[in-house]
Amino acid sequence: MVWIGAALLVLADGKRGLALGTALAAAGLAVLTWVDAGPVTALLIGTGGLLAAARRLMTGVSGWGVMPPGSTPRIILSVAGGLVALWIALGVMGGPGAALRFSVLTAVGLAVARVLSSGVAEVQLSAASVVALGIAAAATIDPSTSSLWPSLVAAVIAAGMGWLPVSARRAA
Amino acid sequence: MLPESLELWVLAAAGLAFAFVFSSARLPRRTLVIHGGAGLAAGAAIAVAPTLDLVVLVLLALGALDAALGGRQTFAVRMRAPVLAVAVLALGLMLVRVEGPDVLGRFASVGLVGGLAVAIGLLPFIHPFEADEATPASPLVWVVFVGPVLAAVLVARAQSLLPVDAGEAFAAMLIGVGLLNMVWGALGAWLTSADGQAWRYSFFADWGLVVCGFGLTLADGGRAALLVLFGIVTCRLPLYLLARAPAQQQKATEGPLNLLIAAALAGSAPFVGFAARVLLLRAATQLYWPFALALVIGMLLWLPGSLRLGRSFGSVRGRRALAVAIVLAVNLAAGLYPLPLLEVARI
Repeated sequence: MVWIGAALLVLADGKRGLALGTALAAAGLAVLTWVDAGPVTALLIGTGGLLAAARRLMTGVSGWGVMPPGSTPRIILSVAGGLVALWIALGVMGGPGAALRFSVLTAVGLAVARVLSSGVAEVQLSAASVVALGIAAAATIDPSTSSLWPSLVAAVIAAGMGWLPVSARRAA
Repeated sequence: MLPESLELWVLAAAGLAFAFVFSSARLPRRTLVIHGGAGLAAGAAIAVAPTLDLVVLVLLALGALDAALGGRQTFAVRMRAPVLAVAVLALGLMLVRVEGPDVLGRFASVGLVGGLAVAIGLLPFIHPFEADEATPASPLVWVVFVGPVLAAVLVARAQSLLPVDAGEAFAAMLIGVGLLNMVWGALGAWLTSADGQAWRYSFFADWGLVVCGFGLTLADGGRAALLVLFGIVTCRLPLYLLARAPAQQQKATEGPLNLLIAAALAGSAPFVGFAARVLLLRAATQLYWPFALALVIGMLLWLPGSLRLGRSFGSVRGRRALAVAIVLAVNLAAGLYPLPLLEVARI
């Protein structure tokens, strides 16, 4: 679910596509963190992601905008990025929680790639929201540290990203 | 909270206050307060954050806010470096936590050092820069207001997180990045065509010393890093701001005050940069003496660049002269008696 959401973030230009990608990635991360860190952390991550997705539905380019012409490099990035993340999470790293490791690597990696490759503010802000949620999810990997504060801060950042005043001139 | 991070934050606040008092038409107070204030607020949050995860999230928030506040660069361009820094740091932290072969710890070190370099804007990840941009809206905010606190907190926490093997790799990479910035920054400050760019490269050179100091892992290395950071915030930043004067005052001059400015920028005795360099060389000699030799050669590269910056400062009269006198006096005092600075930081 996280991979599909992050891939949608990479592939979509429209606000619906970006919102769905954000929501899917956040929901997937929330489900995975529930197991290790409990319901509060999961709810915070999920809520932050849903608020970010809801805000994205209000601003940005209309429609879905999934895979517009010239999207081949993005498709390759989504697939190759997912496969590399899968190899690292399963083959290189060890221990329990492989699904969470894969999800964090996919979400953060693909979202950052989207930020670096896009010149549209709304797209970058949605991707940055997913990065914040991915960091909070990564904090749950270590059971000896509290993941509550990172989740709360990440949720606030993810939800607040969409409200940043970004004018069209600067975003161009 | 680390004492040195608190001290560095106070110094950054003092640097901002200095810039506010001596601001010119090319340094609008409103921009200064908004951008510099955001940087200081983030620095405070970084200093008090109990975990590195929170530090990384604060960086992300500051990056987005700074990009939204605007400048000559587009939002998209301003947003890229902070998000990349955050992602690299986050992946580094993740590699510290997971189980796996020892090489993962070294990759974690790469992530932490790389993330630090991207966040501050050091080589090889320098932020896009326009010489005509108002200083508070330029990437220099990261270099002078956020960077010192971030570096102190990140290095201290990373050294406690990483296993011994990865910790050695972390220190070695810090030294490598430091040397790269020292040499490239000093050469850039000397040889680049535009004076604005030359000032910017000189910040990199100083940061090279800082990063080397952190990488030396001895007490003297940390002390040297702190003193160089003091010099960046209380000497190089104010002089850079004062150098951005109206064009009629910027005719190259070689007066005595210009030579004093050059001496302070070059880290000559008796200014604070000299004490920092002595401590750095002492630490390097204790660790591996050929490294001290490389540092000495690198430090000599400061001279031509600093003389150039001192000359480009132009005539120093009136309010500018007062500001320069304050800067030089502060750095002279810290150079002659740096102990209070080090005691407050408990290094």
